[in-house]
Amino acid sequence: MQEKEALMADSLLSYIALAMILFSIGFLGVIARKNIFIVYMSIELMLNAINLIFIALGRYYESMQPQVIALIIIAIAAAEAAVFLSLIVVLYRKKKSLNSDVFNVLNQKDAAHE
Amino acid sequence: MVDIVFVILAIFAIGGGLGMILFAQPMYSALSLIVCLVALGGVFALLSAPFLFMVQIILYAGAIITLLLFIIMFLNIKDDNLPDEPNKITTIFVGGVLLIPFNILILKAFNTLPSKPMHILGKDFGDIQSFGIELFRGWLVPFELISMLLLAALVGAVVYARKGSVDG
Amino acid sequence: MSNFLLAWIVLIPLLSSAALGLMYLFSIKIVKIPNIVFTLIGVSAPFASFWIATTFFLQMIGNSEIFLYKAYRWLGVDGYDIDMGFMADKLSIFMVLFITFVGGLIHLYASGYMKNDDGYGKFFFYFNLFIASMLLLVLADSPIIMFIGWEGVGVCSYFLISYYYEDEKNVQAGNKAFIANRVGDLGFIIAMITMFYYAGANGFDYINLEASMASVPPDVLTFIGLALFVGAIGKSAQIPLFVWLPDAMAGPTPVSALIHAATMVTAGVYMVARFHFLYDLIPDVGLIIAYVGAFSALFAAVIATKQTDIKKILAYSTMSQLGYMFIAVGLGGYSVGIFHVFTHAFFKALLFMGAGAVIVALHHEQNIFKMGGMKNKTPLVYFTMLIATLAIAGIPPFAGFFSKDEILLTAFGSGEYLIWIMGVVTAVLTAYYMFRLLFVVFHGSNYKEERKLHALNKSITMPLVILAMGSMFAGLIGVPELLGGHNLIGIWLSDWRNSSLHVAHDTEFILMAVNILAAIVGISIAYKKFFKYDMKIVPQYEGMIWNKFYIDEIYDRFIVQKIKKISIFISYKVDVNIIDMVVMGLSRSFIRGGHFISKLQNANTRFYAFTMLIGISVISTYLIMVMR
Repeated sequence: MQEKEALMADSLLSYIALAMILFSIGFLGVIARKNIFIVYMSIELMLNAINLIFIALGRYYESMQPQVIALIIIAIAAAEAAVFLSLIVVLYRKKKSLNSDVFNVLNQKDAAHE
Repeated sequence: MVDIVFVILAIFAIGGGLGMILFAQPMYSALSLIVCLVALGGVFALLSAPFLFMVQIILYAGAIITLLLFIIMFLNIKDDNLPDEPNKITTIFVGGVLLIPFNILILKAFNTLPSKPMHILGKDFGDIQSFGIELFRGWLVPFELISMLLLAALVGAVVYARKGSVDG
Repeated sequence: MSNFLLAWIVLIPLLSSAALGLMYLFSIKIVKIPNIVFTLIGVSAPFASFWIATTFFLQMIGNSEIFLYKAYRWLGVDGYDIDMGFMADKLSIFMVLFITFVGGLIHLYASGYMKNDDGYGKFFFYFNLFIASMLLLVLADSPIIMFIGWEGVGVCSYFLISYYYEDEKNVQAGNKAFIANRVGDLGFIIAMITMFYYAGANGFDYINLEASMASVPPDVLTFIGLALFVGAIGKSAQIPLFVWLPDAMAGPTPVSALIHAATMVTAGVYMVARFHFLYDLIPDVGLIIAYVGAFSALFAAVIATKQTDIKKILAYSTMSQLGYMFIAVGLGGYSVGIFHVFTHAFFKALLFMGAGAVIVALHHEQNIFKMGGMKNKTPLVYFTMLIATLAIAGIPPFAGFFSKDEILLTAFGSGEYLIWIMGVVTAVLTAYYMFRLLFVVFHGSNYKEERKLHALNKSITMPLVILAMGSMFAGLIGVPELLGGHNLIGIWLSDWRNSSLHVAHDTEFILMAVNILAAIVGISIAYKKFFKYDMKIVPQYEGMIWNKFYIDEIYDRFIVQKIKKISIFISYKVDVNIIDMVVMGLSRSFIRGGHFISKLQNANTRFYAFTMLIGISVISTYLIMVMR
């Protein structure tokens, strides 16, 4: 089965590095973007990065369990997608905006004035 | 050979991710994300997870992102509705710098594991049969709970999205 | 007999006072409880304690057993333990006996005196609380426990003096008593702290203190003795902290009888006797005590000769008699001092109760020159008062004679002739002012002819009779051997006789004769001036003595006003400009800080995430540097 020496694809660390880069991108998307769609997509990306870590470790330890966990994460992501997207629809109807900063009724200033 | 595949997939994944957070239009972002997720699915396949590779493409790229695209188009967003994001690049840069220590920490932690060949394992690892056995032997209760969760999310989404359900 | 009953001597009045207090609240808030219930509980409590004390007393006859009972650990700090402990030795059980007995009679009297008062239950609540505190004071096994009782009687005294709190004058009298007592308490506390520091290492109860007293340097002993005596001065109304006692007569008459005659004011004498092991080592301080006592006795007697308020006369006479007691304990005659405390409790309670009966009969008239002619209207009160007056004047064989004689004998035998002379002069004055009171009130012509008298009921007159018996015969337990008697009280407390006095029998006879003579002189002067006194002539008093030597005014001018000035300065300058600035500044800065920090809660999720990122970054950097 063994072909030849593979440097990058054979090292756990390169998968982890890829996962971390993707995770970082996702995080930066959350903090840098106001568009609520992009925030949602960034969260999905972070979930996938974590999935990658799980699967890489599953391969490393030759265990099936992390793959099952990854499947469960995907299923939860699907549930989340349904709820999140319907929320976006509702919020867009209410505020006519996709700016996540508009949704700030819980801030101290408003609470103090009510 | 495997190295080249891995590098190409990684480039696509990272490029897709960066594209997603840099495009102003959510439509382009979503398309970039599809690229990214498909490339990730390829990486899953490299890691002996053929079943998850399929799930990733069918469920994520096929279902979730399609749903997202559908919503984006459904809302018919114009350029005026997009929020102003003047210091997007600055924040990404500052955040990226701040994230470096975290990444280094995680990598250092994983570096302590002994290195081990990661070539693709035989057929019975990660294929649908062994996956099913694992799922229904060891993870039956979580599986059932997930089904409940999906049902609840479905009902919740319907309730939210119904017109007039929320005031205004 | 199990020693835990000692605690019950204190607990019975305490529990009954708690019950009375709750019942009183219930009575005024929900359903009125008949007075008879309060009477039964309130009056029976001191007699129950008396009964228990008697059982202990009977066990002690003939041996010198000391009963100790440690109820529980009250304070325990790193080896220094204060137990809630009770100690009954001969001194304390003797005190308990007459406190509960006389106290019980006064309770009974009060049930008649206060019959129509709205706060009947409240009154008995205070009374029982007072008895409990007093018993705790007496039965305590360490100065700290004693101090609880000490403060307890102080606070009850405050409650009872300002009992008629609708009148501002009474409230001020209560305040005065409370504040004057605080000055004394400060002395007590300082003495306790010093004692604890120097002698508290082996335990802080009397027995251990007595053992470790010898190791304390003499200067410190003198300091402790003086500081303790300051406490005694405050409680027992001696010069210079006596000013509260006359004003304390603002309370109901049973209060005057119980607290300001029979029990509480003698706490100072008791304390000196209790710390006899301390004062035995420092006779110089004892001499100071004796002189303070002698001066107080004389001073109060002089003031009493010109007073017109019946209760104030008795108040000054109390102070004067307390002075006698301090003469005795100061000169080391502890048993003599306690003997006078004992006899004094009887006749002074009787005098106050008799005065109270007269006051009630005359619809709360207190000026003796507005009474007159009470002899025929209230003969029983007259006879009992006569007995008490004879007792206090020192006519044999009434109680006061023997104890006063012993005191003067102690003074003479110790070689303190000045004190002795002052004592004799005081005796003359005592006889004079007491018979002046008696003659004016009972023998003088009627102030108003047709006056309807308030009827006196049994519960008022019965205690009078019992106490009259006591005043007649209480002295017999201390008949000197010279007259063929046994000085029972001297034997009972014999361990503590500082120095056995050796006075020749002839001298003793002469001294006794001098005392009787002094009393007779006083009586005859009073007889000449006031017998069959015509009440139409109300004497106009003025001058130094009538104004009580201007002591109140001097205190007011030199102490109260100065303190007021300082207080005003602190209140309007220091407080407003410094304290308030700091406090308000602090609170304002907190409010501003709070407003500033609350801005962080801006509901901007991206901002929160960014903050989290900074935290992650810092922690990661730290961990990288730590991890190798």
